[in-house]
Amino acid sequence: MRGVRAWLLRLFGTLRPARGEREMTEELESHLLLHIDECVRRGMSPEAARRDARLRLGGLAQTQELVRARRRLPWIESLFGDLRFGLRLLRRSPGFSLLAVLTLALGIGANTAIFSLVRSVLWSPLPYPDPADLMLLSERSADSGDTTSTSFATWVDWRARSRQFEEIALARDWQPTLSGAGDAEQVTGARVTANFFRALRVRPALGRDFHPDEDTPDTRRVVILGHDLWRRRFDSDPDIVGKTVLLGATPFLVVGVLGPDFRPLVSEAMVGGKAELWAPLGYDATQPWACRTCRHLRALGRLQAGSSRDAGLAELTAITGALWKEHPVDYPGGDVAVVPLSEQLIGSARPVLHVLLGAVGFVWLIACVNLTLLLLARASHREREIAVRMALGARRGRVLRQLLSETCLLAVLGGAAGLVLTVVLPWALTAFGPRAIPRLSEVQLDGGVLLFTLGLSLATGLLAGLAPALRLTRGRLPGALREGGTRTSAGAPGRRLRGLLVVAEVALSLSLLVGAGLMVRSLWRLLDLPPGFDAGRVLTMQVSLVGPRYETDGAVRRHHDEVLARLRALPGVEAAAVASQVPLAGNYDSHGFHAEGRMAANPEQDPSAQRYAVSPDYLRVMGIPLVRGRALAASDVDGAPRVVLINQTAAARVWPGSDPLGKRVKLGGTDGPWWTVIGVVGDVHHQRLDETPELQMYVPHAQWEADSQMIIAIRATGPPLELAAAAERVVRSVDPSQAIFQVAALDQYVSTSVAGRRLSLVMLAAFAALALLLSAIGIYGVTSYGVARRTHEMGIRLALGAQPVQLMGSILREGMALAAAGIAVGVAAALMLTRILGALLYEISPTDPATFVAVAAILAAVALLACYVPARRVLRVEPTEALRGE
Amino acid sequence: MSPNGEVWQGTLALMVLKTLEALGPLHGYGIGRRIEQTSGNRLIVNYGTLYPALLKLEQEGYIASSWGKSENNRRAKFYRLTRAGRRQVVREAGQWEEAAAIVARFLRPESES
Repeated sequence: MRGVRAWLLRLFGTLRPARGEREMTEELESHLLLHIDECVRRGMSPEAARRDARLRLGGLAQTQELVRARRRLPWIESLFGDLRFGLRLLRRSPGFSLLAVLTLALGIGANTAIFSLVRSVLWSPLPYPDPADLMLLSERSADSGDTTSTSFATWVDWRARSRQFEEIALARDWQPTLSGAGDAEQVTGARVTANFFRALRVRPALGRDFHPDEDTPDTRRVVILGHDLWRRRFDSDPDIVGKTVLLGATPFLVVGVLGPDFRPLVSEAMVGGKAELWAPLGYDATQPWACRTCRHLRALGRLQAGSSRDAGLAELTAITGALWKEHPVDYPGGDVAVVPLSEQLIGSARPVLHVLLGAVGFVWLIACVNLTLLLLARASHREREIAVRMALGARRGRVLRQLLSETCLLAVLGGAAGLVLTVVLPWALTAFGPRAIPRLSEVQLDGGVLLFTLGLSLATGLLAGLAPALRLTRGRLPGALREGGTRTSAGAPGRRLRGLLVVAEVALSLSLLVGAGLMVRSLWRLLDLPPGFDAGRVLTMQVSLVGPRYETDGAVRRHHDEVLARLRALPGVEAAAVASQVPLAGNYDSHGFHAEGRMAANPEQDPSAQRYAVSPDYLRVMGIPLVRGRALAASDVDGAPRVVLINQTAAARVWPGSDPLGKRVKLGGTDGPWWTVIGVVGDVHHQRLDETPELQMYVPHAQWEADSQMIIAIRATGPPLELAAAAERVVRSVDPSQAIFQVAALDQYVSTSVAGRRLSLVMLAAFAALALLLSAIGIYGVTSYGVARRTHEMGIRLALGAQPVQLMGSILREGMALAAAGIAVGVAAALMLTRILGALLYEISPTDPATFVAVAAILAAVALLACYVPARRVLRVEPTEALRGE
Repeated sequence: MSPNGEVWQGTLALMVLKTLEALGPLHGYGIGRRIEQTSGNRLIVNYGTLYPALLKLEQEGYIASSWGKSENNRRAKFYRLTRAGRRQVVREAGQWEEAAAIVARFLRPESES
């Protein structure tokens, strides 16, 4: 403590030297006077007394220096001195400084940006109390490995029997239409069990949490609003609790509003944003959708304090094992999964972020190498200055400190410039793809990020500056001090080191470029892949019918038919159809597929197929090819024989080797009617482009239970979005009260489905381009430095009759030899490194030869250019001038 | 006294504190003279190192200073013990005596037996 106090006082003394100085002088003067007084009193002559006093003080100047050293912190003063000197030097060579600062800004800034991203996405806890105890619980079926859901009946048993979990809650996505005041708007919400917020340990800021008795089929008309929704739709009405809001046609009582800090769980649905309102799930065991096999709910568990994931998993496995014995028909095998909520939320983003971290680390290394190269080149101009300093008695450590504080100053300047990048990059990322990296919006600049930048800058300065500084202070005086010491030719100092650095730099950029190249090729392959439909010129919009008018199936169907008829009449519309779901839009609806004569003993083990309830023109609108049989017709209506189209995958898997036409299936459960297969159509990528298509079937919407929420798909004759406003008007003309939302071209869904991949690709490509640029600068710098240094030698050679072109060739050869070595090392490194890209690649080998060759060629070309530009200067060397000296 | 700066600095600090404890507020010259007198003039205080030592003690909060008039009416900076300084005298004197006693045993081992 005393030490700290003294240190602070000295620091203060360093910053405000004048006061202490005056006081010290006065005190020492007074000391001399006192001393003289006493000597005179003892009979000395005043002169002798004065001499004696000065002698005993050990010299006034020395004493002052000793006191000063104690009053202030000398090393800080000399550091300031070094920094001032460094700044002067930087100003004196603005070109060098600018290049160095820019290099560092890119290298450090990119790192800071990725650091802030990774820190807030991967390392900071979820915004709930004790987030580590939150687990997602799910049944995992043996065949599909799907781990996201469970059923209500299973949950009831889990909850009743579990001791390790304090709470287990359920949630499902919910997209109600908020009507009433203002335009009808579809909002994203969730239906949750009454204990959901208790499990998260979140309390509404306004009003109250759900009561358990509100979570029943009859009482579930209450809702808790998210803060944003409350602000946006209800003007932050402080008296909102107790009022009702209309969701669809149903009034819901508002019981609470969440605080602004609440972060909802990430929704499973592709469409819509974060959940903004919550209502009780309101299931009970008698409902058909509460059955054991109705696995459509997500379970969230909070572990008891002191319990662990393993204990929770063991218990849940035991409970579920018992359930299998009790209800053998309902559980087709498999196991249960307990996954920390953070894992589930970050899951797919983790490998991307790790790859980006690695990539940005490479960029940093390249920036360091570049700075070292720059410093080495400049070192030759300072050899004499340093040699003189050391000859005059400066210790090596002192000179090293000076040189390193100069490079650190440079690096900190670069880091500061890089912070600008850090501000811009997350912003750009958010603009590119908010869905791609969850929790991206939480990225922010703060003390931690600033500290990281400062630390990284200092590390950069030390790392990059060490080799040049050591080399400069090696103390080979005679050569450096000799007049014309900078004129040495081929054997210039540090040549081998520079060569090594260039090789390293080229190798690093090659690895990055290969990584980026592989990702580019993956994306191309993916986008080249036929999705099974023709996404061009298709406009989609969701409509939701509300009100008593649509209580019967007939009314809903008549409405849809009317809308389609009017749409077809609209100029620019080629065909129009309604569908219960369209590919890549995030809809998911599967039904059991029970083929006659091929049913498993346990119908639960029969496959399920994605179900599209569509109007007859759907295939035409989507451009899905009919492979066999006939398409759906307008005559396939309620009352006519039930017909179904299946995709090729279903045909091949359910009826391998035989003709599916005319075969009969039951859909959903086994107690429904038979449906006859009348045609086979092409496969469609429904969930993602990079999945294998699953079983799919198309039923006439007129033969399926009518759905008040459908998607209208329109094939336009021109750009689909130009048709959007007119189409919307037409749809509304049939019934102005219906909600229309998600008006989008099908193309947009296709690109959204690869947005995550595209984002990581864009970032990796940006880093690779940065690396390429930096290495080009590095090669250019080294070559041009070499040329400048060898002007004298070139002059002699030219005078002796060498051809300029020959000389240029030799310089090019030298530079390209380094580049070639770098490429060789880089290829070897990349062969090992690209494996980590694994999951990020699609249908391309991490060692894809074409990518490697192309990248090596690009690098070689860039290196050649970077050598050629400075090498050309040799052609302009005038022998006489070169020989006259520099 | 040992020419080793560290030992010198350490013992000088204790001597300064002890002097101030005995005599009350005193200026730098007076402290130096008093130390010489107490040692029977066997110690010659290097005034050049006395002032940095005083400054260090002041920075550490063991002594405080203020300007005043000397006995012969000269303006001088007077040092006095702070409360922390008083505690420090006791602590350091104890440590020093213990160290001195241990060293003494090594120098005259036979007197123990």
